[in-house]
This record gives sequence, structure tokens and C-alpha cells, in this order.
Amino acid sequence: MEKSLQMWVPEKKVDEMIGRFGGNPGALLGLLEEAQGQNRYRYLPKETLDYISKKTEIPLSQIYSVVTFYSFFNLKPQGEHSIVVCRGTACHTKGSKAILESVARLLGGSESLEEGEPSFTTPDNRFTLRTVACFGQCALSPVVSIDGVIHSNVTEGKLLKTLNRLMKGGKR
Amino acid sequence: MKAADLGALERIQKTALTGLRPAKPLVSVGMGTCGIGNGADVVYAALAAGQKKKGTDFILAKVGCFGFCAEEPLVSVVLPGQPMVFFHRVTEKDVPKLLQQVSSGTIQPKKALFKIEDWDFLTGKISYGSGLPTIPPWNEIPFFQGQKKIVLRDCGLIDPENIEQYIAVGGYRAVFKALREMSPDAVIAEMKVSKLRGRGGAGFPTWRKWELMKVVEADQKYVICNADEGDPGAYMNRNEIESDPHMLIEGMLIGAFAMGATKGIVYVRAEYPLAVERLRKAVADAREYGILGPKACGSSFPFDLEIVEGAGAFVCGEETALMASIEGRAGRPMPRPPFPAQKGLYGKPTNINNVETWCNVPVILARGGKWFTETGTETSPGTKVFSLVGKVKNTGLVELPLGTSLETIVYQMGEGAGKKKKIRAVQTGGPSGGCIPSDHFHTPVDYESLNSLGAIMGSGGMVVMDQDNCMVDVARYFVEFTASESCGKCTPCREGLSQSLAILNGITRGKATEKDLDTLESLASVIKNSSLCALGQTSANPVQTTLKYFRDEYLAHIKENRCQAGVCQDLFLELCENSCPMHMNIPGYLQLLKEGRLEDAFESTLRDNPLPGTIGRICHFHCQMRCRRETVDAPVSQGEIHRYLADTMYKMGKEKQIYDKIIKEKHDPTGKSIAIVGGGPAGLTAAYYLVRLGHKVTVYDNHAKCGGITRYGIPNYRLPSEVLEKEADFIRKLGVKFVFNTTIGKDLSLSVLAKDNDAVFLAVGAQKDIPLSIPGDSLKGVYLGYELLELFAKKKMPPLGENVAIVGAGNVAIDMARTALRLGANVTVVYRRDKASMPANESEIEDAEAEAIRFVFMASPNKVIGDGNGRVHALEIMKMKLGPTDASGRRKPVATGETDIIACDSLVIATGERVESGFVKDVGIKTRGNGTIEVNPFTLQTSVDHVFAGGDAVSGPATAAEAMGQAKKAAEAIDYYLTGERRFHSLFPKIAYGNQVPAQPEGGPRNYGRKTAVKDRIKSFVEVAQGFTGEQAHREASRCLRCDVKEERK
Repeated sequence: MEKSLQMWVPEKKVDEMIGRFGGNPGALLGLLEEAQGQNRYRYLPKETLDYISKKTEIPLSQIYSVVTFYSFFNLKPQGEHSIVVCRGTACHTKGSKAILESVARLLGGSESLEEGEPSFTTPDNRFTLRTVACFGQCALSPVVSIDGVIHSNVTEGKLLKTLNRLMKGGKR
Repeated sequence: MKAADLGALERIQKTALTGLRPAKPLVSVGMGTCGIGNGADVVYAALAAGQKKKGTDFILAKVGCFGFCAEEPLVSVVLPGQPMVFFHRVTEKDVPKLLQQVSSGTIQPKKALFKIEDWDFLTGKISYGSGLPTIPPWNEIPFFQGQKKIVLRDCGLIDPENIEQYIAVGGYRAVFKALREMSPDAVIAEMKVSKLRGRGGAGFPTWRKWELMKVVEADQKYVICNADEGDPGAYMNRNEIESDPHMLIEGMLIGAFAMGATKGIVYVRAEYPLAVERLRKAVADAREYGILGPKACGSSFPFDLEIVEGAGAFVCGEETALMASIEGRAGRPMPRPPFPAQKGLYGKPTNINNVETWCNVPVILARGGKWFTETGTETSPGTKVFSLVGKVKNTGLVELPLGTSLETIVYQMGEGAGKKKKIRAVQTGGPSGGCIPSDHFHTPVDYESLNSLGAIMGSGGMVVMDQDNCMVDVARYFVEFTASESCGKCTPCREGLSQSLAILNGITRGKATEKDLDTLESLASVIKNSSLCALGQTSANPVQTTLKYFRDEYLAHIKENRCQAGVCQDLFLELCENSCPMHMNIPGYLQLLKEGRLEDAFESTLRDNPLPGTIGRICHFHCQMRCRRETVDAPVSQGEIHRYLADTMYKMGKEKQIYDKIIKEKHDPTGKSIAIVGGGPAGLTAAYYLVRLGHKVTVYDNHAKCGGITRYGIPNYRLPSEVLEKEADFIRKLGVKFVFNTTIGKDLSLSVLAKDNDAVFLAVGAQKDIPLSIPGDSLKGVYLGYELLELFAKKKMPPLGENVAIVGAGNVAIDMARTALRLGANVTVVYRRDKASMPANESEIEDAEAEAIRFVFMASPNKVIGDGNGRVHALEIMKMKLGPTDASGRRKPVATGETDIIACDSLVIATGERVESGFVKDVGIKTRGNGTIEVNPFTLQTSVDHVFAGGDAVSGPATAAEAMGQAKKAAEAIDYYLTGERRFHSLFPKIAYGNQVPAQPEGGPRNYGRKTAVKDRIKSFVEVAQGFTGEQAHREASRCLRCDVKEERK
């Protein structure tokens, strides 16, 4: 990948974030979340992590431990559209597994999910499919979030229609 | 404007109160995440646009969530002087009408769900107005009946982003009092009186936790709110923060004061962005008003709050992991001691409590600890908020006094799952909890009683599961979750869970053995006893509880490779085939018909079902109840098709070649003899398979002909006797011997049969009517339903009168009603429940209605009135009304006290049948209290090794297909018992057919079989349902989506 893409968040911006979070409780988590959010591909390239380690004087090994421990952090570029299928108990009881599998099939990520990968990004970088343990919207199960917007009482049919529309370049 | 002292606070309260009960109309839209997810933001925008356009004078506000999630979006309207009315499921389309009601000043009750006349905020009260008698008060609708809103007192009624509204209803007064008038010890003393226990799940006494930290001296102490609500299925903390964030701030401030902590942190999971946003605003406002800051509430106590977002790790709900997370490390739990009260965040004394625990604090200080103990139980006072979700009608958040039973929660508030689905279990406490089966639903919900069942209350998630949920899959699902969320530090959890998952996956794929079950159990026990933290320790609960209460389901997966619920995809062909009690290869025969191979299609059905024409007419069609085509338009009429196949083959005389083929396949004689007691559907089925396996089979029946209920209980207009005769004849042709007019236990003893035969199969059914036992039931003209049907079939029925009343609404009652109608009588069917609760086949009910049979619902028989000459003259009934939902999923009928009279000269009681099994005691066979015979669920063996049983005699009254399914299973078990070989599959040679899946749903809308016109059918017993034409059958078969075609698993 081009170097310019790897270090999208400018160093000055990272400095500002570090200044803002300071030594406050939860600073590292918050800082990493924001740095990821500011990255166009919503991930944390090694360069960003190296820079943060240098500036905050937190050992890179600790930062690496944190980004690999918490499921929120992505070490690989994410797709343009993010689809998150809730796999909470209420959603599972109402059939979210079948929904996950049908979306995975549509995007070509069935094998990857079967092998236990937490998320799958299509090779053209347009879609990332992942799961969340629970959105906390249990009364409206099954729940799927598309680009941060939560859709409730989702059925396979409705979801596939929406995704097909997105794939053709439409809006959700 | 600051709230520097109590005076200032009171001034704000007074002013702000007018905002909640203004002189002009107030329209509030519920804007929690659920509401917004269901379109509340669109409704709000439409209301705002409408307000601007029309210039209607009203206040438009955003409030939190009232808790009835299934009915979102909720919009409340208060017209000055009138009650607050809540409208439900409001969409953009409803907005113009709403605006119209606001401007006209008149509420239209049509879309209103409930009203509130006055509301007790516990820290304050508001009276809105009285009136609108047609709209029920909030606590009279089932979902809210029995709820007591303490924690949720403000939710849905105030704007969570407006601190003044919180103050208006009395908020922050308690903390003012605490900080200025009480000592920290006094605060803890009040908490002690309240006996509040931690609401995060462990239930530790809150006052004691606080006391432990208070006594520790340090230069800095912390209080933390654990808002990392990670339990899937639980979202009450989310609502508590989104709808009333100030309640949390007040609680933490009071606690911080009591413990001497000047800094507080709220750790919220990142999946709750709206909660984080609302809390941030609330904290900012609280600072501005001087509630938080260097002089909290104008006192000398400094306190401020920070918000930290999580990053997607369930284990961070564990307190030591949570603190590690705040410190910028991976969230791996640490051993305790040292406890956080001694050494917590950054090594300083720290107190961590759950959101709901903190939220209870202000109201305890405001009303007193003693007041708090007036709710709930002795050891668990107060309320708990539960999230009631899953397979239940009313989903949402319910707040109840601890000690309320599960039955009340699921059936009364949740209103059950309807009569078609049976609720099997409730899963409580998330992945740390367990599955509680429905027969334990009377258990009160509190810490101790749930623990005693092996479950835990946990955070309060309650997921209701029905017969379509597989308990093995549920256990697997939870272990998959905890295995992936395990921090990995300790071996029992890390390795134990991944091994448990491998075993559970194996079970769901039909690749496990009984030994694996033993391994699973011992793993669970090791994980429970030696894991470092509560995630590991409780992760074994789902496995242990499902093994305890649903072991047979595990065994069915392992021994029979069957998943009854139809979830574990590797264990069944498709849902239709899986739901069919005989596991007919339905996609197979549909495909064969599509390919024009009528003979092969018929052969396929005949191999799976010895009575295809019969069952195709009378079945309940379990297959159609799960057919996936229903998600497109309507299920495929599978049963109607296999009836068509049989009828067509018989009409063309082509069945003979199939019969000959099957006869030729008969196995060589085994020399074993089998006696079958009962020639009904179960007996005939067992005979059919066993004779083909080469055994010598004799069927004994106490009637003159075989068929059981299919001949003597189902009239000809539903099942012409010629069809049954032909199909039974084939069984005779196969070599089965029939001995009629012989009652086992009277003409011949069971012990003799058992001695003279190598195996015996008992299939005596359940045909003995259960009498009603009401005064006057021995008068002349009063009959028992099934007995009467039998007499009619034997042409021995006494003449019925002109006005026949029938009590009951099952198939026997309806069959009797339609028979009486055809004999010229005026017929009235009397049923104690409502139409929706009738147990008979839906098509039967439809047909009966078309034939103009009169139904009297909600009427329970009281007594039979005679004419003075010993004959029935009328039936007195008690009028019933619908009460709360009972365990059958239907609403219980409750007497109103009002009676009525139904005139009749004949009365038929058809309210149920039971098994007559006294004769089995002869050989010492065990039966249950209701007379049904006890059998091993897998081999159908009774307590005597070579005597098997199946059908209604084992299950109690059920359907013919289910009886036949059991008999098929028994035949396989009997053959294995007698020969030691697994030969059953040889009776089902594969018939090849195409496997192309239709790219689009084909065939058009559902086809319906033709029916004889009503005017022609009510005068005779001509068959009502005429079945499909060839064209219809072909079209219908092409509607099948072929969901059975699967890719090979690599």
C-alpha cells in the first residue's frame, strides 16, 4: 500500500489528541479510538502506533497489547461501508446467525467467518462485515448496523435488498 | 444559573415544573436508541415541520424511553388539564392526525395505548388531569401490570438533556441534603437500613462495600460506575443512562461523599454512543449548575466525574479488568485480594458499583432506607429492571419488585408467545446465567432462588425461548461467546472453553459420542471451580443448566442425530422434513412431482408413510408450520400434494406396481413374532415396517375393523372410509395378521401375549372420554363425544334431538358438531375460551363456520337442566371473560358470575380424552399419573424390556402423524432389539432426483384444494375437501424453494 495511505492522520493532529487526553483516566483507549476514527480507512497503521508510543512514552508492546486485546481496534484497513450484525442472545434467538451467514455469502466472506476471523473486508475494500456481541437493542432483535445506523427487526430479505442497493452504489 | 444552595435549587424546581405541566399542549417523543432505531427521529422531525407549517401552539420535547420497546415509537401528549396520553407505534403518517388533536384540544383514543393521570416521581409528584375513561391507565395494561417504577421513575417522562427537568421532579434534593446535613456515616447507615444489594449481578450488600472503602485512609480515592453492560440481551443500564443520566450522577456523588472519594469515573461500553453523549451533556450541565466541581452543591466536598469509553471487551465488566482498562492496559482480571477498596485504580482505594445500584441511591436517601424495604423480599428489597426479550409478545424493560415469579413476567407481562408456539425456557443472567425450563416458572426472581436453580439473576437479561430454539445450540452459542471474550490469562477458562466449544460444535454436527458429554460435564466443573474471575467461573452455567434440564435433547443429537427444534443444520434435511413426525422426504417428493415422475413421487411418500391418502387429509401439517416459503408469501401445501399423489395413483390403478415392488423387497423371515396391541395409525405403521423386515406380525384390536380413530373417530366427510380401507388393505397384503374383536386385558391377557411373542408393541391410543362431572350429567340425552362418534361410525348411534349442544372445541367436538348438523340438527358449540384459543385444526374451524354452526365462546358449562322427566332440556353456562395468559400461551378464562341458558335436547361432552392403560399392570409396566405409558424416549421401551409402546398411549391425545412417527421409531428400535443389526435404512432405498435450486421463488401464489359447496355438503357425508387438480399440484410443487439443497461442508 502507498505510504501516504499508511500514515493518513497527520502527526500534528495526533499531537493535539495526545494533549487533549493528557494523563486522564482511560486516556490511551480514548486516544487510540480517536486516532482510528480520524483515519480514512478507520484503522491504526503501525506508523501511528509507533508515533503515539514515542510521544506518550508508553512502550509499544503495551500499546500493541491493548490494540490486539480490544475488538474495537483494527490493524487492517476497513471497507468503505461497515456492516455489523448483532450476535447477542435475543438477536441469536431470533435468527441473527442465518442473517450473518447470508450477508457473508453475499460478500464472499463465508470461509473467513467459518474460520473464526472477527471481521471480513471485501478485496475491493468496499465492505467490512463484522459482528458485535450485543448492541443493547434486544427488544428489536434481530439488529444490524449499516454505516453506524441501526436497523431493527431485520429480515434476511430486507437486508439483502439494502445491501444489493449499496453494492450498486446507491445510498442506504 | 447556578444551584449554589437549596434555595436556588427550589427556585429552579418551581420554574422548571411549569415546563413539565405547561399551560399549552406538550408533545413528547420517546428518543432512546430503540425509539430512534424504530423511526422516532423521523416522527420528531415531522412533528417539528408540522408545527412550523401550521403554527400550532404547543411545546415539542424529546424524552427518554418509557420501557415498552415493542410498541415504539411512543409519543405522549398532555393537553392542559387532561391526562398524559401515550400513543404507540407512531409513524410519519400519524403526525397530521396528532397535530389535529393537539390544535382541537380533543384526544382521539384510537392509537392511544395508555394514559397517566398522576405520576409519582418518588422525589416529587405531578398531576396531569383526569378523564378519558376509554383509555386504560398505564398500570392496567398487561405489560405494566405489577411493575413498580423506582429506578425508571423519570424515564420517558422528562427530557434527559435538560438538567432543570430533573430538578423539577425533585432531583438533586437528596444529594443536597446528604452533603450539607448528613455525615458520611449517616449516609452509609441509611444504605444499611435499605439493605440494597448490588444490581450488577452478584448481589453484594452495597452499604458494606461502601463501608469497606470509607475506612481506608488515602490521599485519593475513586468511585467508578460500571456501565460496561456487556451481557447480550441486557440493555437496562443503557436506558437508565440515556433516559435519566442525572440520577446516576446524583447517586455517585452521594456515594463519593460517603466514602470520601473526590473523583469518579463512568466506564461506558463504546457500543452505546447515545448514552455516552447524553451522559457527557449531563456532566457538563451538572458542572455548570455547581452540582459537580470543587464545591459540589455548594458544600466543601469536591467531586468531579470523567467518562471513559470501553473498546469492545466483555471481560472489562469484571472490576479488576475494568480498572486495568482505564489505566490503559489490556483488560485482564487480577486475583483478589487485594480488593479494589484497598488497592484499586492507580493503586488507590476504589469503589465500583453497577449503574442500577448507583441509580437506586438518590431515591433511598430521599425516601429513606425503611421505605425502600417495603418493596421486594426480606433478603432482596427493592426492584430490579429486567429486559424481557426473545420469543414473547411484549418485549421491553420491566421493573418489578424482587420476588415476582417468572410466570408473571413471561405470561402476564410478556403475554406469552401465542397458542401456536410453546415457551420452553427463559435464559437469565446472560452468558453467566442459565436456562430455566418452563416447569420451574413459578420460581420467584431473586438472587437466592435463581442461584438454587443453577442460574443467576445477573444483570437482569431475560431471553424467552420457544420450541424452535435448540438448547444445545443455546449452550454452544454462549460458550462461543465466552470463549472469544476470555482474556486468555488462566488455563481453565482459556483452554477449557475452547475445548468445550469443540465438543459442543461436534454435538451440533452429529459427530459426538456419549463419552463427549461426560467430558463436557467434567470440563464445566473444572472451569467453574478454578477460573480466576467470574467470567470463567460462571461460563459453565449455560452448559450445566442445559445439561441438567434438557439432557434428553443432547442425547437426541448424539444418539439419534436429530435436532427437534430444527436449528442444527447438519442434523436434518430441511425444516419441513424435520418437523414432520414421520420425517417424510418432502422436498424429494415435491421435486419428483415437478419432474413429472408421479409413480416415483408416490413411492417416496409410501415408503415414509404407510397411509399417505389418509394423512394427506387429516394431518395438522406440522411441515407447513415451518415452511420457509412463508417468508415470501405462504407455505407450500405439502400435505395436500401427497394426498393428490395417493388419490391419483389409486384412481389410475397404478399403485399396484408399487405395492408389488415393496412386497418383493420383504426381508427373509426372521422367525421372530411380534404382537401389536391396537390397530390404529400407530399400530398399523409399526406393523407395516416390521412385517417388511421379515417378522411375523399380529395386530390385535377390540373393534371389528382396523383404523382406530381414523375409522371410528373421523367422519367420512373428512376421511372417506374407502381411502383408509385401501391403505390398510396393503398392510394386510404385506402379510400382517389381524385379530379383531379382541380386547387385551379382557379376552386375552397381556402377560400371555408378552410370553408368546418376542416383542410387543402397545398402541392403544387415548380414546376414553374424560367426563365433565357437573350436576345433571347423568340425565338422558347427555353423551360423551368420542364414544358417540364411534357409535355413529358403527351405525349404532342413538337418534339425536333437534337441538344439539356440544361442549368443547377440539377436533372431536367439531367432528361431532358437523356430524350432528348433517343429520339435520341445529348445532351449538359451547367453548369456555375464545375463538383464537380453539385447539382444533384451523381448516376444520373454517369449514365448521362455513357450515353455519353456531359457536358460543367464553361459556363454561355449569350444570345440565332436566325437563322433569329425566331428560336433558338445557345447559346452564357461566359467562367467562379473558384473564391473564396462562402456561398454555392462551388467556385463562375467568368466571364473571353471570350465567345463561342454552336450550338443547341432546348434549355432547367432548372436552378431552385419556388413555386406558389399566391392563398393562398385568406385566408390571410403569405408567404415569394420567395413565400414559412411560417409555425410554429413544427406544420407546417400557419398563419391561421386550414391550414397547407408542402413539397417544404414550403422549396423551395428540395427532395421528405424531403417533405414526413414534411407531416408525419404535419399529426401528424393535427390529434392532430382535436382530442386533441396523437394517431399518434398507427399507428406504434412495430415489434419485434433481437438485437445482430455483433462482427466484416460482409457482405463484399458494394453491388451495377445491371444496364441495356448503349447500351440497351439509345434507350428506360426501367428502368436503376435494383436493388438488393435476395442474394445481404441479404448480404448488414448483413453489418449493428447495432449501434442503446444501453445499458440502468442507
